[in-house]
Amino acid sequence: MENVWLVSAVWLGLALLASVISIRVAMSVALVEIMVGAVAGNTIGLNLTEWVNFLAGFGAILLTFLAGTEIDSRVVRKHFWSSMSIGVVGFVAPYLGVLLYARYGIGWSWPQAQIAGISLSTTSVAVVYAVMVETGFNKSEMGKIILAACFINDLGTVLALGIVFAHFDYWLALFGAVTAAALWMLPRFAPWFFTKVGHRVSEPETKFISLVLLGLGGLASVAGSEAVLPAYLVGMALAPAFLADPELPHRMRIIAFTILTPFYFLKAGSLVDFQAVIASAGLIAVFLAIKMATKFVGILPLTKAFQFEAREGMYTTLLMSTGLTFGTISALFGLTNHIIDQQQYTILVTAVIGSALVPTLIAQRWFQPTFKPIEDDIGPATPSKEEA
Amino acid sequence: MYEKILIANDGSDGAAKALAVAIKMAHRPKVKLDMVCVEEMPYAPATIDEVVEERLEENHRFEKVIEHARLQARAAHVKFETHVVAGHAVPSIIEFIERGGFDLLVIGYMGHSAIYNRLIGSTTDRLVELAPCHVLVVK
Repeated sequence: MENVWLVSAVWLGLALLASVISIRVAMSVALVEIMVGAVAGNTIGLNLTEWVNFLAGFGAILLTFLAGTEIDSRVVRKHFWSSMSIGVVGFVAPYLGVLLYARYGIGWSWPQAQIAGISLSTTSVAVVYAVMVETGFNKSEMGKIILAACFINDLGTVLALGIVFAHFDYWLALFGAVTAAALWMLPRFAPWFFTKVGHRVSEPETKFISLVLLGLGGLASVAGSEAVLPAYLVGMALAPAFLADPELPHRMRIIAFTILTPFYFLKAGSLVDFQAVIASAGLIAVFLAIKMATKFVGILPLTKAFQFEAREGMYTTLLMSTGLTFGTISALFGLTNHIIDQQQYTILVTAVIGSALVPTLIAQRWFQPTFKPIEDDIGPATPSKEEA
Repeated sequence: MYEKILIANDGSDGAAKALAVAIKMAHRPKVKLDMVCVEEMPYAPATIDEVVEERLEENHRFEKVIEHARLQARAAHVKFETHVVAGHAVPSIIEFIERGGFDLLVIGYMGHSAIYNRLIGSTTDRLVELAPCHVLVVK
C-alpha cells in the first residue's frame, strides 16, 4: 500500500532541493523544478498518484490564474493596435508553422500536431519582463507594448488549448455561458467581498477564488475544454482588483509556489524521457528553430510597421520567441489526454525549455538595444548619490 | 595612476576586503571611486512576481552593504558613488565598466571548490578574463 507521507516527503524534498539550487544559480525555480523532476523521473522514478495529479493540476490552474492577474489592462487599451497585432501574429505564426511541420513534415496526426503548435506558440511574459527590467525597457513605451503583446499572445495559446479539443455540445454552451456570467460578475463582486472579509489567516479570499477556479475548471473538463482557460480569463477579469491590492496575489503566490506548483513542474519534468531527448535531439532543435523562425516571420515586419528601430525589432522578436509555463501546460494536457505519447511530450517540453533560454541569450548577447538606463530605481537601496 | 576606480560589491567577505583596498587606493586627489552592486535576475522566471520578489530581496540585502560602504568612504574622505543594476553579475559589471570608462576594477576573491571552478567557473575568473580595464583581485 502506498505510504502517503513518504511519497509526499520525496516530492517536497525534491521541491526543496530545486528551491535551493534555483537560489544558488539564480535560475527560475520553475525551470529547476522541471530539471530536478526530469532527473528524478529518469533515475529513482516518481510516483504519480491521484493526489499528486490533483496538486499538480491545481498548481497549473493557479499559476495560469496568477499569470492572468498580471495583465495591466490600461496598457493593453493604450497600445491596443500595436500590442494586439503583435500578440495575435506572435501566436498565429508559430502555431501554424509548427502545426504544419508536425503534420506534413514528420507525419504526426492532426491532434498531435495541434498540441505541438499550441505548445510552441507561447511567449513567456515573465522571461520578457525579467529581460526588460535588466535593460530598463520595462519603463519605456516600447517595453509596455511588448509586454502587452505577450499577454495577448498567451491568451491566444490558452484560448486555442481550451477550444481546439472541446466537444461542441450543450456542455460547452453551458460552460461558455457560466464563464461569461462569472467574468461579468467577478470584477464587481470580488472586490466587495474581499473588502467585507478582509485579510485573514483563514484566507477567505483565496478560498473564494479557488472555488471559482475549480468550479469553472470542472465545467471546462466536462465540456472537453481545459481548466486553464477559465483560470486565465478569471485572472484577467480580476487583474484590476489584484493590481489595487498586491498583498492578495502575493499571498496566493506563496501558497501556490510552496505546495502546488512544485508538484506541477516536478511532474512535468518527471515525464521527460532522457533516452527520447537523445534520440530526438535533432527534432527538438528543429521545433525550436521553427518556433523562432515563425516568430520572426510574423513579428519582425510588424515591429518595422510600428516604427521600432531595427535592433529593437530584432530584440522584441527574440524576446517573444521565449516560452515556458504555457508551453509545458499545453504539452502535459496532450500527454494526460493521450493525444501525444511520452516521446512526443519529451520533444515538445525540451523544445519549450530551450525556448526559455536560447532566444533570451541571443537577444542579450547580440541584439540588446543601445538604450539602457544604468541605474535602477526600485526600492530604497538603489541610490546614485555622490558623496565626498 | 588610476583616476576612475570601480569596486564590484556582492556583499561577501571578499568584497568587503576589496572595498577597504579600493578606498585606500582612491584616497588621492582627482580619484573617484564608484561601487556597483548587481541584483541577480533569475533566468527563465515563471511569473513576474518571481522577478519582482527577487529584486526586492536583493535590494534589501544591498541596503546594508551600501550604507556600510558609504560610511567607510565618508570616513576616508573619498569621492564615492554607488550604483545598483539589475542583471547577471559578469555581463552587467563588464557593461558598466564600458559605459563608465573605468580604468581599474577592484573585486574580492571568493574561493570555491575545485569541482565548482571546473564545472561552473568563478565570477572572479570571468571578470578578470573579460574586463576591458585593469583588474585587482583582493584576497
